[in-house]
Amino acid sequence: MPIDIYWRIGTHGDQSSLRRRETSRGDWTPLAPGGITPGVRGGRPDGYTHLDHMADVARASELSGFVGGLLPSFPFTDDPWAAAASLARETTTYRFMIAYQPGFLHPVQAARMSATLQRATGGRTVYNVISGGGGPPQLWWGDKVDHDDRYARTSEFLDVLKGVWDGGPFDYDGRFYRVAGAGLPEPLAGQPFPEIYFSGSSPAAIAAAGRHADYYLSWLEPFEALAAKFAQVREHTEAIGRSPKFAVRIDVLARETEQAAWAEIERGWRHVDPAALRGPEASGDSVGWLRGQSFVNWPVSRPRDLEAAPNVWGGFHLLRGGPAFGLVGSYEQVAARLDELIALGVDSFVLAGVPHLEEAHRVGEHVLPLLRHHDLRDHSPLAAPSLATPSLTAVKGTV
Amino acid sequence: MSTPEFHLVLPTRGGPAPAPLPSFVTDLRPGAFGPLEHLAEIGRAADVAGFHGVLTPFDPGGEESLVVTAGLLRQNRWLRGIAGFHPGIATPVYAAKVSASLQRFSGDRLDWRLTVDLDPAVARSQGDFLEGADRYVRADEFLTIAKGVWHEEDYTYEGRYFQVLAGGFQGPLAGRAFPRVLLSGTSTEALELSAEHADVHLFGLGDDLDAGIAELSELSVGRGPTPAFGLRLPVLVREDRAEAEAEARRRGDDAPAGLFGSYGEVADTIRAHLSRGVTVFVLEAEPGVEETYRLGEHLLPLFTEEYTHAD
Repeated sequence: MPIDIYWRIGTHGDQSSLRRRETSRGDWTPLAPGGITPGVRGGRPDGYTHLDHMADVARASELSGFVGGLLPSFPFTDDPWAAAASLARETTTYRFMIAYQPGFLHPVQAARMSATLQRATGGRTVYNVISGGGGPPQLWWGDKVDHDDRYARTSEFLDVLKGVWDGGPFDYDGRFYRVAGAGLPEPLAGQPFPEIYFSGSSPAAIAAAGRHADYYLSWLEPFEALAAKFAQVREHTEAIGRSPKFAVRIDVLARETEQAAWAEIERGWRHVDPAALRGPEASGDSVGWLRGQSFVNWPVSRPRDLEAAPNVWGGFHLLRGGPAFGLVGSYEQVAARLDELIALGVDSFVLAGVPHLEEAHRVGEHVLPLLRHHDLRDHSPLAAPSLATPSLTAVKGTV
Repeated sequence: MSTPEFHLVLPTRGGPAPAPLPSFVTDLRPGAFGPLEHLAEIGRAADVAGFHGVLTPFDPGGEESLVVTAGLLRQNRWLRGIAGFHPGIATPVYAAKVSASLQRFSGDRLDWRLTVDLDPAVARSQGDFLEGADRYVRADEFLTIAKGVWHEEDYTYEGRYFQVLAGGFQGPLAGRAFPRVLLSGTSTEALELSAEHADVHLFGLGDDLDAGIAELSELSVGRGPTPAFGLRLPVLVREDRAEAEAEARRRGDDAPAGLFGSYGEVADTIRAHLSRGVTVFVLEAEPGVEETYRLGEHLLPLFTEEYTHAD
């Protein structure tokens, strides 16, 4: 079974490196010389927008061997539907993995948008279904439904979306949604249904994932914890006769040598706010975030205090916005860790690196060609993760 | 006299599939083009021919309008994109969020065409069971909240249909132009909604134009600027009337409604509408690309000249 490797696309600009936490790409900081999209010409904005940078990253990704990219969605980001629809015709193979929360769109509308986007892209739409935890309270988005109910709603949402997809007429009478005589019209109906990457670490999320996920997508965690999480998902889904695949979202900092990789982290570390080294702060009601923070012995003082397992580093959030865990090391080390994850049962990756444009080329040129999963797979099923698991230093239980 | 704006309605139900070429003729098309190429072609034609914009209508039987509009905005330089939808498709916050990005990407060229009074059976097929005047209450809440989070940083609203707590766009998502809002309808509820929210009120062929304009103008007093008035209608125009009539007969329509006749006749009709206060013309013309070029070369220039002289 082939492994699908995606490369994240920043929907809120990008830094030029991990060395300084300054967003010089996109317009999240004031217009200044050296800024890109918009840039400055003769003292004025040059007319380029953040979408032009996203287009560059998308093209770099498809040229570098990635199948597509995850487009995140938060209050401060550009919207993934808007970006994907805009870039459909200037990409060729790029799959748009659109992050969205089901509660914000009606499922019939989501079906219509997806079907037209499938037609615009030749079937390159992928879903990252998220059900909350996106920063501020849900009511910022105008959503009143609370945490566990959101997963029940997500289930209904996907029931309706799938129900109308191939035509109709489709009737549904649920707790959250009701439709009568629904169905996509002739030219839109019956296209390939977008693959669903399902996120969420809570029991409610895992229960909902069982019914609908093609891929269960997790942030990176120390491998043993990740294997345990996958086992939990598998247990839930086997009971109802389904078997989702597994995907991991991983930041990557890979260099020619291990020393060069850590030296790059050190450069960024100089600018980290010392207060952030004392320990994590709660963020929304995301179970995944709290879980990630539990793998580290806070407080910390040096970068490698955050290395929860060899090359598994939990400090990326200190150098850029986003989740904490990623891989740091030489090209060979990072490729070896990815191989180990494949051996653990991972079928897909959503990789990322700062800056996304240049790092897409680097990882595509230097890391992906080193993968050799076919030697490892089949000898190490998920049920027996010990075969390829590196030694673990700091798995402090699960939330 | 005001300067008219001309927009085109996109045919989002697609057309008949092209006839296959004989088997001994090389045909490079299969597999090379997607089903939306034709819409992209018409959008490009409208841009180069000098139209102000294109309307992608809300049509449960056609392509989805926001996705189509996003693509057209990206591929064209001047064109405004009017996306048609109804207030049940999303939370107003999310509709505004998607639109804020499209405004950023396009330099503020997105407009909203909000349909409020869907046929009840159509509405139910879209998951919307609200009927009657309540739909206007909901549309008012939808637009109020969308504008609220767009313009304010700490925005709270507790409505019957939608809520938001401490919402509002920040950073570069804030500060763009809110999409122009196009509404329609001749009921009191519809005109009230337009007085409150519309930038353009669109009339149709069967509407009593003068009465609607008078009533909406009156309702708008004391509530901010009066909306611009628009008219959506089909157009069939040729170099002279005989040629237009011949084309109508060929299409099996002996008495075409809307704008019909020679370039000069149709221009006169448009001038008459302009003098009544209508400034936005949303035209239905088929086939798309050919008629778009024709209108751009022969009808639109008649108004460009007036504009130049008036200055």
